Amino acid sequence: MNKERYNYYEILELPANAAQHEITTAYERARITYSGENPAIYTIFSEPEARELLGIIEEAYSVLGNKTLRNIYDQRLFAGQTGALELSYQSLLTASRSLFPEGKKENLAPVYEIDEQFEKEIKQRSDWDGSFLKKVREYKKITTERMSDITKINGYYLTAIEGMDPGNLPAPVFVRGYVVQMAKLLNLNEKVVADSYMKAFKALTTS
Amino acid sequence: MERVIEESKSGRRPQMWVTASGKGGVGKTFVSSSLAISLTKLGHSVIVVDLDPTGANVHTALGQNPADVNLRHWFEGNKSLQEIVTPTPLPRLSFIQGLWDLWSPANISSEQLKRLIPELKSLRADYVIVDLGPGAVETHLELFRAADERIVITSPEPTSIEKTYRFLEAHICWTLKDTARPDVFNALLGTLRDHRNRKMKKPFSFRQYLKENDGFSVDHFESLGEKPIRLIVNSSRSQANIDLGHSIRSVCCKYYDLSLDYLGAIDFDNAVWQSIKNREPVLISQPFTPLAGQFVSICKHLIAPSELRAVG
Repeated sequence: MNKERYNYYEILELPANAAQHEITTAYERARITYSGENPAIYTIFSEPEARELLGIIEEAYSVLGNKTLRNIYDQRLFAGQTGALELSYQSLLTASRSLFPEGKKENLAPVYEIDEQFEKEIKQRSDWDGSFLKKVREYKKITTERMSDITKINGYYLTAIEGMDPGNLPAPVFVRGYVVQMAKLLNLNEKVVADSYMKAFKALTTS
Repeated sequence: MERVIEESKSGRRPQMWVTASGKGGVGKTFVSSSLAISLTKLGHSVIVVDLDPTGANVHTALGQNPADVNLRHWFEGNKSLQEIVTPTPLPRLSFIQGLWDLWSPANISSEQLKRLIPELKSLRADYVIVDLGPGAVETHLELFRAADERIVITSPEPTSIEKTYRFLEAHICWTLKDTARPDVFNALLGTLRDHRNRKMKKPFSFRQYLKENDGFSVDHFESLGEKPIRLIVNSSRSQANIDLGHSIRSVCCKYYDLSLDYLGAIDFDNAVWQSIKNREPVLISQPFTPLAGQFVSICKHLIAPSELRAVG
């Protein structure tokens, strides 16, 4: 497929002034058309061709479906910057980041009294579980609510992770993700924490 | 049958709609006759012309007995086309009976076709709906090209969709054939064949090909941009079937660079075959069903806004 010939609007078969909801509808339709065994593409596109088209469609929607990226894309398109480089997804993403720089990282962790001995224990710890995570959290003076605010993990899950309560938690793969985020926030070695925690957690679910 | 045929009020030449399909049995005749009935409900006079030589069925779909005069009389030169128009009991609706009392194969020669098309376009009605037989044969392609509205009908079956693409390709090629030099035209067919056999990498684009290769008259192709071929998906049973129309439109756009206007899907309805058995069109016996609504909205979409009439 000759990519330079198409722009994202042409890929989704839309006029450049299409409303946002029309973009979503067009994307949904395109996805139905080019994925799976749609009778409409049979004898016209081979499977690899359809997959390639689908990839381009996804890329088009990831730009046009996002208002900020679409704005930057429109500006470049209408300014005649039609080179593949200026209009690639990556370059748009970079431009949007410079438009909205991530704010200075506020000092998230509140001040806490440093307990040399406990610090040492944390460093040396290799078998993590819920109760020790909770201990570290409380030592660092971070409430569950605060942790939930920052990590966007439901406080209900945080409590369940600390309580090692599989009945109230989603599939292990998600639990691991949560533990990694908690460890990051607590400034711990997330790999060590997550690995040992999951070991303990799985032992709990299988027993 | 002493009724006076209600004639066109505007006095202008009628709009000629031609319905075609790549394959038989998708419901062309049902759709043509239902579009005709819907147009009459919207206050327009309509003549349905049965030009399906092998399966003349318009009278059946309209619930009428075969008419005494039919296309044979025109072919034999005894009557003009206007003289063989047969009225129906339905207001504003008449039809031209297809060939049904002929036992030898009916072939319309190109001379006859040249005579037929102007006569079709001077019939006295607001709309002339021509019901073709299936497939891309010369007569059908020629009438399809001459139409004011070109309507392609497909069923959701893969067989029918495949033949729909073939019909569209055949239509484009047919319109290019007359004006192109034979060698240029054969080169186009060769390229198409290579695409069919997957010898080419890029998808085929008619527009690109015509731009890159001299010797074609692209007037008709360009006019398809402004007045696209219309598509109807008949006997749809699910949302997936309805979506198929959008998919076909998208494939035509991506693969051939050809715009297509999807008019919508017509529901599969058991009332249809039952009504044909009872010899009363389903839109007459059951005028307030979703099915009837689908036809009316398609007609409203196709009628020029200035021609829409208040219906009492």
